[in-house]
Amino acid sequence: MINELIYDFAIWLDDSAWSTLLHESYYMYNWVESIHVLTLVVCLGMLFMIDLRMLGYALPNVPASNIARRLNMPMLIGFAIMFITGILLFYAVPVRTSQSVWFRVKMILLVACAVNAYLFHRRMNESVSSWDHDTKAPDRIRFGAIFSLGFWSLVVICGRLVAYDWFDCEYTDSDNFSQLLSGCIAGQERF
Amino acid sequence: MSALGSTSSTSYGKTITVAVLLFILLTFSFTDLRYQTWLRLYEFFLWLETTPFGVIGKTWGAVFAVVEAIHLLAMALLGGAVIVGDARLLGWLFIDVPAREILDKAHKVFVVGLTVVLITGIFMACGVAGKIYWLPVFWYKMLALATGIFFVFFIRRPLLRHPLEEIHPRVTKLIAISSMLLWFTVAATGRWIGFAGS
Amino acid sequence: MIEVEGSTESIKDLQYAAVTISATIIIFFVVYWIIQIDSVRELLELAYG
Repeated sequence: MINELIYDFAIWLDDSAWSTLLHESYYMYNWVESIHVLTLVVCLGMLFMIDLRMLGYALPNVPASNIARRLNMPMLIGFAIMFITGILLFYAVPVRTSQSVWFRVKMILLVACAVNAYLFHRRMNESVSSWDHDTKAPDRIRFGAIFSLGFWSLVVICGRLVAYDWFDCEYTDSDNFSQLLSGCIAGQERF
Repeated sequence: MSALGSTSSTSYGKTITVAVLLFILLTFSFTDLRYQTWLRLYEFFLWLETTPFGVIGKTWGAVFAVVEAIHLLAMALLGGAVIVGDARLLGWLFIDVPAREILDKAHKVFVVGLTVVLITGIFMACGVAGKIYWLPVFWYKMLALATGIFFVFFIRRPLLRHPLEEIHPRVTKLIAISSMLLWFTVAATGRWIGFAGS
Repeated sequence: MIEVEGSTESIKDLQYAAVTISATIIIFFVVYWIIQIDSVRELLELAYG
């Protein structure tokens, strides 16, 4: 049911003229993809610095709240660009992407990242004044940082794997387990 | 910047080294030497594919893909360290924190990122050696990467070990800007290697 | 530049070296990316007129 909805939505996107244009434009698509990957350096680079600070590995003598506050802006700018280019990449190849196991796992992980980030910030704002100058943050915050590092690493790995076609609906048999996860539609004609 | 015409040669070792290397590089690039060297390297690239790295990379696509992802993650670490350090030099971030503190710690993160990037990068290069050999963008990336490593360890770090107040502010800004441009080029040309083969 | 006894020579040397290599990097960057972008533009022109 939900898979049919996703498929119909993807087909609808795929039928729009801009989607085809972007997909077929070798250079435009590559630029969008490059920007998506390069801003990853900005966004995750800042995020990793914040997380590593909480774990006591990077910049231990700078107050934790100082790092988190200062690096937040470049991180969010990077995230916004990644988000927009990410949507464009999906828009260019909607059917195949929406039926990719990796893409689906990536989306779930992104939700996990968002929840984790929300909890992390709430906990930090509640208590940061008491441990701001400590080399390591308290356990609760450290777990948040470890989850953040872990989830985002998996997001990158899954994102990279979207490019590989091992589990594509087009190239797997209908009795293959991956077809279930990918949400392939029996008898679908477009991939 | 005064005393540009100084003739004391003994104390200008690094400047002379840079100038000589630059001269060699330009001579190499604009003569037949470059082409000849490229031809000779073909055997080496074929050999790379037969190394354990090359065999694994060619045989198991999944391993290659995961290494690619780790390469990206390490690049994020390296990029993060570069941005934080350079932004401090340019006075964009952390101006209330001593520059020494930021620069030294950022450099440690940078070294970790660079190490992982190099190891995963060599692995990937072995897997697709026969392809990248033919791509100009790969060679540009190698040039940028070599320049970057030389720049960081031979010039930037030794210079920044001196108190920042002793360094001309424009020189500080110049190395921050060129460092960001350079590492951007390394990353962007790296991404382009993937497209160029398809 | 503040002249400090002792480390002045090596810091001068390092600064000249840094300026030389930075200038090279920036020039290379500009030339490389202008050529890249221009070649894309030419290709697009060939493709779409």
